[in-house]
Amino acid sequence: MTASVVRTQGAPRSAAKGDRSPRGTGRRRRRLQASGLPWILPALVLGIGLIYYCIGYTGYISLLNWDGLSPEPEWVALHNYVRIFQDPVFWKAVSHTIVFFIVTFGLQTVFGLVFAVMMHSKIKLGVLYKVIVFVPVVLAPAITAPVFRQLFAANGQFNWLLEHIGLGFLAQPWIGQESTALPVIMVITIWQWTGLTFVLYFAAMSQIDQSMIEAARIDGAGNLRTLISIIWPSVRGTTVALAILSAIGALKTFDVPWLVTVAGPNNATQFLGTYIYQTTIQLAHAGYGAALSVILLVVALGMAIIFQTAGRERSEKSTIRKGAR
Amino acid sequence: MFEVRSRWGKALLQLAATVFVLPFLFPLIVMVQGSFAGAGWGNYSAVLGVPGFFRFFLNSAIISIGVIVLVYAVTMLASYGFAKLHIRAREVYFWMLLVCLTLPEVVLLTPLFSTAQQLGLYNTYLSVILPLAALQVPFAVLLTRNFINGLPDEMFEAARVDGANSFRGFLYLVIPLTRPIAAAVLIFTLIGAWNDYLMPLVFLQSQNMQTITLVPQFFVGEFSNDQTKVLASAVLTAIPEIVAYLCLQGLFERGLSAGAIK
Repeated sequence: MTASVVRTQGAPRSAAKGDRSPRGTGRRRRRLQASGLPWILPALVLGIGLIYYCIGYTGYISLLNWDGLSPEPEWVALHNYVRIFQDPVFWKAVSHTIVFFIVTFGLQTVFGLVFAVMMHSKIKLGVLYKVIVFVPVVLAPAITAPVFRQLFAANGQFNWLLEHIGLGFLAQPWIGQESTALPVIMVITIWQWTGLTFVLYFAAMSQIDQSMIEAARIDGAGNLRTLISIIWPSVRGTTVALAILSAIGALKTFDVPWLVTVAGPNNATQFLGTYIYQTTIQLAHAGYGAALSVILLVVALGMAIIFQTAGRERSEKSTIRKGAR
Repeated sequence: MFEVRSRWGKALLQLAATVFVLPFLFPLIVMVQGSFAGAGWGNYSAVLGVPGFFRFFLNSAIISIGVIVLVYAVTMLASYGFAKLHIRAREVYFWMLLVCLTLPEVVLLTPLFSTAQQLGLYNTYLSVILPLAALQVPFAVLLTRNFINGLPDEMFEAARVDGANSFRGFLYLVIPLTRPIAAAVLIFTLIGAWNDYLMPLVFLQSQNMQTITLVPQFFVGEFSNDQTKVLASAVLTAIPEIVAYLCLQGLFERGLSAGAIK
C-alpha cells in the first residue's frame, strides 16, 4: 500500500537522480530536496502521528477531572499534579521503581557476566545451559506469571524446596505479605532477563583480544584478576547499555507485578505502570491517570536524552556491527 | 576465559555452572509438573476441549503478522529515505522519531482508549496492531538506517547510472541487502507483539478476539482457579515460543540483543 503511494507521486525517482548530481541546476535541486519525504512519510504518520497525538491528548486529559466516559469533563488545571505530589502511593511506586532498578540491574549484571565467562571456558553441555537460561527471555511474562503465583504461594514449590534442603524455618507466604512481595517480583524479573544480559556479555567477550588475556596470564594474573582488570573494563559499553535498558524497563514494569501480586498487598508492589492502569481503568480517574502518565513520560524522556547524549555513538557502532554479522 | 588446568578445578567449574543453571530450570519444571498434577493428561484434554482455545493462537498470529508487515514496510521505506535520499531537515524528523524510543505503552492508554471508541476501532485487531507497530517503528528505523548507511553509495550510483530509479534501487538493492538486519527487526517485533499483554487486555474485550497472553486469566475464570489446568494452558501457550526459539536460536539471540539495546 505504502509503496504504491510513493510510486504514484514519482518524487523519489528525481531525488535519487538529483541528490548528489553535480550538474543539477539550482531550480531543479530545490524541487528535488523535498523529495525523499514521501519515503519517510508512512513512518512519520504512524510513529509521530499516532504517538504525538496521544501524548498531546494525554497532556490535555491530565488537566481534567474526568472518568474517561462522561461527555462533560471538569477543568481542574494543574490540580491533578498537585495531588500526585501529595499522594503516598505515587511515592511508594517511585521508590519501588528505584529499588527495583538497582537490585535487578546489579544482580543481572553479576549473573550475566559470570555465566558468560563460564560459557567461554570450555564447559560441557554449554549449549544446553545456554538454552535453559535464555528460554525465559522468549516466554511472555503473562504466561509465566501463574507459574510464579503457584511457586511462591504459601503451599507452593519454593517452600517445599526450602523444607527439603533443611531451611524449612524460612518458609513463608512469599507473595502474600508486604515484606517479601517486592523481592519476589524482582526475582521473577531477574529470572526472565538474565538470559539477555548473558547473551550480550557473551557477544562482547568474543570481541576481546585473546592476546591481551594471554599477556595478563603471562604476567601472573589469576582468573579473578583477569576478570576484574581485563574482561570487566572491556565490556563496559555493554554494561552501560544494559543499565539504560534496565532503567527504562523498570519504568515500564507492568505485566509481572500486575499478574503475580496485583500491585499488592497494600501497594507493596505498586509501580508507575500498574498505578496508571489502576487509576485509569479500574477506578476510572482518567484525568489523574493521565497526569501520572505525563510524569512517567517526562522521566522516561529525561532518561532518553541522557542516553542519546552519553551513549549514542557507542550504540550506533554496536548496532552496525550486530547487523553486519 | 577462565583457565582451569587441574581436574578438580574443571569439575568445580562444571559444578558451579550447573548450580547456576538450576534456578532457571526450576520454574519451568514447576510449570510442567504442575500441569500434570491431579488429572495428568486430563488437564491438557480439558484445556484443549474448551471451545475456541485455538482462537487465542489465531488472534495472536493475526496481530503479530499485522504488526510485522506494517513495521517492516514502514521501516524499510523510511530507513532508505533517511539513509540515502535527500530530505530537508532530515535530522529533525529523525530525532522526533527517536524521542518515541523509550515510551512506556501505558502512557498511551487513555487517549487510545477514547479515540478507539470514537472511531469504532475498539475490540478490533487494528486497535492493538496500530499502537504496537507505532511503538516498534522508531527503534526499527534507527537500526535499519544505521545498516543502510553502511552500504556503499557507489552501489546506488552505479544502479542509477544503469538507469534504475530510486524505487528500483530500493527494490533490487535495499530489500535484498538488508536481510540480516530485517531478520533482527522481525524477531524483536514478533516477540514484542506476541508477548504483549497490556494492549490486548485493554482493547480486546470479546472472548473470540483475545490473544494468548490473556489465556491464563481466561482459564482462571473458566476452571474457577484450578491451578493445574491454568498451568496446562500456560505450557501449551509456551510451546510454540520455545519451539520457534530452538529452531532459530541464533536469530532469536541476535534479534533480541539488537532489540534490547534501545
